[in-house]
Amino acid sequence: MYIQKLHLNHFRNYEKLSLSFENTVNVILGENAQGKTNVMESIFVLAMAKSHRTTNDRELIQWDQDYAKIKGTVKKENTLLPMELVITKKGKKAKINHLEQNRLSQYVGHFNVVMFAPEDLNLVKGSPSIRRRFIDMEIGQVSQIYLHEMSQFHKVLQQRNKILKQMQRADSTLLEIYTEQLAVLATKISKKRFEYLHLLEKWAKEIHFSITRGVENLQIRYKPSVNVSEEDDLSKMINMYMDQFRKVQQKELERGVTLIGPHRDDIKFYVNDRNVQIYGSQGQKRTTALSVKLAEIELIFNETGEYPTLLLDDVLSELDTYRQSHLLNTIQGKVQTFVTTTSVEGIDHQMLKDARTFQVKNGKIDVDEHLR
Amino acid sequence: MYYPEQITKLIDSFMKLPGIGPKTATRLAFHVLTMKEDTVLEFAKALVNAKRNLTYCSVCGHITDRDPCYICEDSHRDKSVICVVQDPKDVIAMEKMKEYNGLYHVLHGSISPMEGIGPEDINIPGLLKRLQDDQIQELILATNPNIEGEATAMYIAKLVKPSGIKVTRIAHGLPVGGDLEYADEVTLSKALEGRREL
Repeated sequence: MYIQKLHLNHFRNYEKLSLSFENTVNVILGENAQGKTNVMESIFVLAMAKSHRTTNDRELIQWDQDYAKIKGTVKKENTLLPMELVITKKGKKAKINHLEQNRLSQYVGHFNVVMFAPEDLNLVKGSPSIRRRFIDMEIGQVSQIYLHEMSQFHKVLQQRNKILKQMQRADSTLLEIYTEQLAVLATKISKKRFEYLHLLEKWAKEIHFSITRGVENLQIRYKPSVNVSEEDDLSKMINMYMDQFRKVQQKELERGVTLIGPHRDDIKFYVNDRNVQIYGSQGQKRTTALSVKLAEIELIFNETGEYPTLLLDDVLSELDTYRQSHLLNTIQGKVQTFVTTTSVEGIDHQMLKDARTFQVKNGKIDVDEHLR
Repeated sequence: MYYPEQITKLIDSFMKLPGIGPKTATRLAFHVLTMKEDTVLEFAKALVNAKRNLTYCSVCGHITDRDPCYICEDSHRDKSVICVVQDPKDVIAMEKMKEYNGLYHVLHGSISPMEGIGPEDINIPGLLKRLQDDQIQELILATNPNIEGEATAMYIAKLVKPSGIKVTRIAHGLPVGGDLEYADEVTLSKALEGRREL
């Protein structure tokens, strides 16, 4: 699948913009602070209905405007799919095939993208919340049921925390009910996270191995807040969650928050049996992040039968020549790719010769058909 | 621009209704001026009558013009079953079906600590009092299939189960007459979870 047309209105620094793309490499070229990343972000938002840079949708709306609109046409195997997302200060409206969708969870997943940006280094070295956000977004792209379970989970979590805040006056029957509901949802979410990370590891391991020329062995481990394991069946897992909840109940009542559950999970990355997050070099962390992202491409292909669009924001310049060409080799010819960069100097690869280039200057874009 | 006081009061009153903002309220208020006096009088009477003569049934909480309500008074009904619903409108929906012949209990809401609604704030104490009557053998929990409705049902079940009364929960899943292919993934997965052996 690839995006054919993109129209922006009042999105960040773009008053109005219309572009069309091919199923190849598209280079977004321009100096700093001209709006390169904004183009990437708009494609990401069109696909995911939220930004990778901010949780505040208002930032996406151009200064002094009331709304931002992103329209796109996505080419799938044998259909053209029009998509539209309007962001207002009150909320978002999403249309698929010109039909408004009641729930955003019905919108997300029609157009798959994988983004690799400098921030993604935080996937390895940042806080656990970044890794949870990552895994939720990725599973959400391929499973609507997961999105539904996550939203249910957050609702129950809020209700439960409210009860816990009442401390000693808390209604114990009610607390028990929310604990049960939470344990069931936590189990379902943990199951899906296990399953997904397993698949992700399978692909990432292979890619990491070949990027590092066979020296490094990558492992990805899911660390749930309760010590459940992948082999446990549903009822055993629910019981383990319930047991743990019983153990921490006193503490929870003292602190007024839920202390265990998917909102406290983490993911750990190991290279040659050492935790990269702690012992890895800067380069190892970057390679790990890259392997994980490239694995996602294969994973989405496996789940949906089509390759996602790859967005590479300012990362080519951060990789050494070997890694660059490995990256470009992996995507060659099969994945529509967007690359932002300040200059094409130093990026030496056959493929960039066939790329289409877009010159960004101050919120305006010129198309150069060929680079050199 | 100023309206006469009578008009502003009318607009203000319309705005107290749900779903009506300042613009609609203004339109409605000006429309009232073009209506015949008899019609307006009837309208006003209907409003007052509905409020003055309708109360909630002291037994089941359903909306009624006499207390206890016609359902609670009906001697042909099966007094051993109570169906618990969230809203008087749910009673109407159940009654339309004409298949259910038991009694009702209207909770007037669902438990939601976030909104400050605890078990004591909805009609649960009233329900527990009714259950002390030996006649009652089954409690059907027909609260909405969302987080709050589900929690409310579980709460009631926990309180009532020890007394030995049979507690059941209505099923949820696919709509009847619908096609499987049109169901969304979430509904479908719920239907699968709730499957039963034939």
